[in-house]
Amino acid sequence: MIDHRPQTIDHRPQAADEKWEPKIVAFLCNWCSYAGADLAGTSRTEYPANVTIIRVPCSGRMNPLFVLKCLMGGADGVLISGCHAGDCHYSEGNFYARRRFAVLKSFLGYLGIDARRFQMSWVSASEGDKWAKLIYELVEEIKKAGPNELGKD
Amino acid sequence: MLKELKAVSKELLKTKRVDVILAYKRASDGVSAAPCFIFEEKDIDGIILDSYCVYNLSNYIKDFHDKKIGIVAKACDIKSIIVLLQENQLKREDVVIIGVECHGVIDEKRLCLSERSVQDIGFNEKCRSCKSSLPAFCDYLLKEEEDRRVTPKTEEGDEYASIRKLEAKSPAERLKFWEEEFSRCIRCYACRQVCPLCYCPKCVADQTDPAWFSKASNLKGGMSWNVVRAIHLAGRCIGCGECERACPVGIPLMELNKKIEKDVKELFGYEAGANAEQKPLFTCFDKKDPEDFIK
Repeated sequence: MIDHRPQTIDHRPQAADEKWEPKIVAFLCNWCSYAGADLAGTSRTEYPANVTIIRVPCSGRMNPLFVLKCLMGGADGVLISGCHAGDCHYSEGNFYARRRFAVLKSFLGYLGIDARRFQMSWVSASEGDKWAKLIYELVEEIKKAGPNELGKD
Repeated sequence: MLKELKAVSKELLKTKRVDVILAYKRASDGVSAAPCFIFEEKDIDGIILDSYCVYNLSNYIKDFHDKKIGIVAKACDIKSIIVLLQENQLKREDVVIIGVECHGVIDEKRLCLSERSVQDIGFNEKCRSCKSSLPAFCDYLLKEEEDRRVTPKTEEGDEYASIRKLEAKSPAERLKFWEEEFSRCIRCYACRQVCPLCYCPKCVADQTDPAWFSKASNLKGGMSWNVVRAIHLAGRCIGCGECERACPVGIPLMELNKKIEKDVKELFGYEAGANAEQKPLFTCFDKKDPEDFIK
């Protein structure tokens, strides 16, 4: 049975000497970004292992609530990646996502939440290299931003 | 204007054009106004209309969804009726909008806290940036006999002055500011109950499968709740200010909602409640929407 209660598990390092590694959650659209990430994998491209990937059918399926739940649950960074504008497998899903998350991005910044913690990208199915490079840079940025203290009990 | 209002209301009830009139009556303190729902002509004589009529009566439309409604509405209140029409929460023929000209309404809290007179600062913050005191979209338009306006309008143009001030601070300062505000939230949901556009049969805060965020009245819960509500109102909030007025712990909710209102205007040229034919913000897009934030 799935436990739907709000996460009480704190993913932040508990022991003082435990070295902190950023925990990043990435929502990837099935048709472009997930395939692109998969290409990076099959090409045996090395990139940091800090990202947990959640596959969604389209970036247009993304709900700002998911991003918020991740950030309040202790994720140090959240990434949404979809098809390039005009290339959405469902024609327009990514246009809706673009609008929705432009608002969320600006709002999170206004609240004082580090702008590096929520990012969005367009990665196509052939852009395995772009994906790896993106994650390298993302992990670097989140390391500089430090552990996420939001919603710490 | 009150005489005309009573006449129109009586007529609407008499002809059964509406089942109920949403109006204002004198509250039990003898000074402020309170909402009232009138089903019979004889009760119309008790209604009032003055600067104390700050409530946005469109909040009650959701309670009478199976009835024909006549509603006393100021220009700002009408915007929320328009959003309800855009979102198909209401059929146009089921509501008779009695538009009333308004020269400003009083925020009782500000009145009490000030040593200055009503004429100086008593008026609600939203009235300072009011663009038009005359309702445009309505079935009846009742005008004031004389200009009672005493509130000076905001320095020409900038209704977002306080937003810009906050934007100019550093992220760390802003986080500290908001954490202080959200930590006071007691999760009473007064903001939700008083909002005309919070009409979800099952609020996201009450969902348990899945549970989206904490229900606790601490910083984590308070931040989650207020952020989610503001996001759910993006492109829908028309700035009536009732949420901030209702908040028992004084969280500056309009500083949240107006930020999104400003962004939505600047990013997409969209204004909530502008006209009933307009589509809701997130049901449409423009090929040229900004994407400079996308890598």
